[in-house]
Amino acid sequence: MLRLILTRIFLGCLTLFAVTILIFAATEILPGDVASAILGQGATPETLAAFRIELGLNRPAYVRYFEWLSNALQGDLGTALTNKREVLATITPRLINTLFLAGYAAVIAVPIAIFLGIVAAINEGKWIDRAANIVSLGAISVPEFFIAYILIFIFATNLGWFPSLSTVYSDMGFWQKIHVVALPSITLTMLVTAHMLRMTRASVLAIMSQPYIEMAFLKGLPRNQVILHHALPNAAAPIISVIALNLAYLIVGVVVIEVVFVYPGVGQYMVDGVSKRDLPVIQACALVFGGAFVLLNTVADILIIMVNPLLRNSR
Amino acid sequence: MEDYSNKLKQLEPLVATSGVSRRDFIQLAMMTGLSVTAAGSMFSKAVAAGTPKKGGTFRMGMEGGSATDSLDPRTYADSVMIAASLAVYNGMVEFDNAGNPIGELLESWEAKPGAVEWIFNVRQGIKFSNGKTLDADDILYSIGIHRSGDTKSPAKGILAQISNIKAISPSQIAITLSGGNADFPVIMGDYHLVVVPNGFTDWENPIGTGGYTLASFEPGVRLVFKNRGDYWKEGRANFDTVELLNIQDVAARTAALQSGQVDAVNRLDARTVDLMKKNKDLNILRTKGTGNRFCFVSRVTSPGFSNKDLRLALKWGIDREKIIESVYSGYAVPGNDHTLDAYNPYYNTDMPQRKYDPDKAAYHFKKSGLNGEITLSTSEGAWGSAVDCAQLYQESMAKAGITLNVKKESADGYWSNVWLKEPFCAVYWARRLSADQTFTQVYGSGSDWNDSDWRVPAFDKLVEAARVELDEEKRKAQYFECQEMIAEDGGMVCFGITDYLDGYSSKVMGTQAHARYDMNDLRIAEKGWFA
Repeated sequence: MLRLILTRIFLGCLTLFAVTILIFAATEILPGDVASAILGQGATPETLAAFRIELGLNRPAYVRYFEWLSNALQGDLGTALTNKREVLATITPRLINTLFLAGYAAVIAVPIAIFLGIVAAINEGKWIDRAANIVSLGAISVPEFFIAYILIFIFATNLGWFPSLSTVYSDMGFWQKIHVVALPSITLTMLVTAHMLRMTRASVLAIMSQPYIEMAFLKGLPRNQVILHHALPNAAAPIISVIALNLAYLIVGVVVIEVVFVYPGVGQYMVDGVSKRDLPVIQACALVFGGAFVLLNTVADILIIMVNPLLRNSR
Repeated sequence: MEDYSNKLKQLEPLVATSGVSRRDFIQLAMMTGLSVTAAGSMFSKAVAAGTPKKGGTFRMGMEGGSATDSLDPRTYADSVMIAASLAVYNGMVEFDNAGNPIGELLESWEAKPGAVEWIFNVRQGIKFSNGKTLDADDILYSIGIHRSGDTKSPAKGILAQISNIKAISPSQIAITLSGGNADFPVIMGDYHLVVVPNGFTDWENPIGTGGYTLASFEPGVRLVFKNRGDYWKEGRANFDTVELLNIQDVAARTAALQSGQVDAVNRLDARTVDLMKKNKDLNILRTKGTGNRFCFVSRVTSPGFSNKDLRLALKWGIDREKIIESVYSGYAVPGNDHTLDAYNPYYNTDMPQRKYDPDKAAYHFKKSGLNGEITLSTSEGAWGSAVDCAQLYQESMAKAGITLNVKKESADGYWSNVWLKEPFCAVYWARRLSADQTFTQVYGSGSDWNDSDWRVPAFDKLVEAARVELDEEKRKAQYFECQEMIAEDGGMVCFGITDYLDGYSSKVMGTQAHARYDMNDLRIAEKGWFA
């Protein structure tokens, strides 16, 4: 098992390395010359040339790539071109904010999704199964900003229970943050629950047609016990990977929610970076996002190995 | 009724500054259904409210900021940093509400005949937040950072006309220009030109002469300012604390204002602003026609468009009122085929506003001798609703019997691939500092941005003459003629200029329309106070 896990970790690192190449290549082919995008209207041939040298753009791409990679490995993400601030110092609080929001939403969404998924599977075809399906599918089929605006309209503008601006600052206490970030995390919960719920329900039901489940029924066990003890452990693998996928989405895919709720996360930082062609910022954000994706998927793979008796006991 | 009470709210702050007489105020108040006595007491209250009061935390929610912002004036490009800058620093020259330059840190000025040599007087007794006293060297340094060899400042271009600048005493500066420019003080009012102490470079901890000092700054998130306590402008910088939040999304800004999380927001949505006016706790301030100028521009050197009658047909065949009503919900003013707005002191008030006239359009089209279709290139990349505007244009042209094809171009790269290349395309222009800048950059023969390719030596001569003309009456006549030439002969169909829409909590005072920018010239933190 250890060998399998080590292989996974090695593959994860390899993927991340490939991601860095992609990131660098993508920023190289961003439309428009970087120097002229930053200088804008004030660009003259002399200032452009001076600025290219300042940015080091006159050197070949692969030299710059390895320089960037080795700096990033040592924790140096460079300085933003636009406001000359340390990228690492700016991105760290924003990453913490992003992780806070993602964690907050996950803590609500994952238990609800798995619980409702199992309940739906136990009561397949009954009203509670249908209700869970309809509500979760309804939530996922409207765009996220629409849910967000409806929640703002009801809970912020009319009832005044929660603020419509979810901006968090470093001087806020934990419970104050929980209150301020309530609406975006509920919005995200509504977005990711359906996917996990449906996957839980489907994989439990898929196991239900297996011969050993029939055997359990023939033993005279009640349906809920069969599902909890015999079906669920074997259905864990697809559920774990869909949870990992959704957690990754909560970290990297919430820029719209960040905009609507004015939440200072990494997504907004990256969008600002792209619109100003601020290369170190774009590269750092892409690296963080890529890293989150690879990390979560590797963890999911390892967990899947660990819950699978066949793989767990191999060697 | 709604409209009157909203107007009344806007008038209240003007009462104290004697912008409105008691009689006018009471008359308007009575239209809203108040009795004379009630209106009278309201006026006295407004007088009291008009005296700035100190205190409170003022929270602004604004669009126009980004995570890449900095308080280095060479990097400013949008509203949030301009507003932040004017809280911490002072400019060289300020503008009054009508748009005329008035002294700020450069207290007064004088030009020798020909407007080539200028003397500026530096305001005395002003202290920076670090205790240093302002002198001419600080001004020289603050201008110099925008001019030095490798600077990336967007103000470099407008300062290129300075051929020599020196301090003749700690309180006086002499500037020599490469050519005469009677508008030079207006140029000195550019928002990039703010004053820092001589040799200053620590932009993360800014030192200025403004009413506030920076307490914290998270780019793209929030700026917090504290009152300095001893501001040199009387009745200004009244809040204890000012918070400036970046809120890019217009719906989020609106919701934040409605739920009382902020006291002021910029750039409201024209489509929802009528609903917000009904809310008594809010004060919606509209600044008419100083925003972006929306145009369809033909290149007069292209085949077909070189015919003046065809260009006139294009100008008569657009239904300006209808576009403004349906696309901008009425929150724009019709353009008169040039990019100067009515707030400019030299705006031609004698020239009649051109209105939709399909008969005239058909007449000129026939006279042009051309037949066939006209193609208009447009895109979301020109401005958000450029395609909608073009489609309405197509309809109104069809009523005149002219076929206009609307060709939708990709938004990406619109400015490099379509603008200045296609013979007839959608363009927006922002407000320029002065009439001279407008005419030189948009219509001058020497300008790379002359998008109509309309290069007329007689026009250039007129602009040059007006630039050095110090006699106001003569100058006005020259600029009036410039506008007539452009509107009559030029290739531009400028059909609308948008309004600025600010939203305030009704307890915020000192909110007024300003000729230059929204939010009282982006100085509401300095000019406002709580009732």
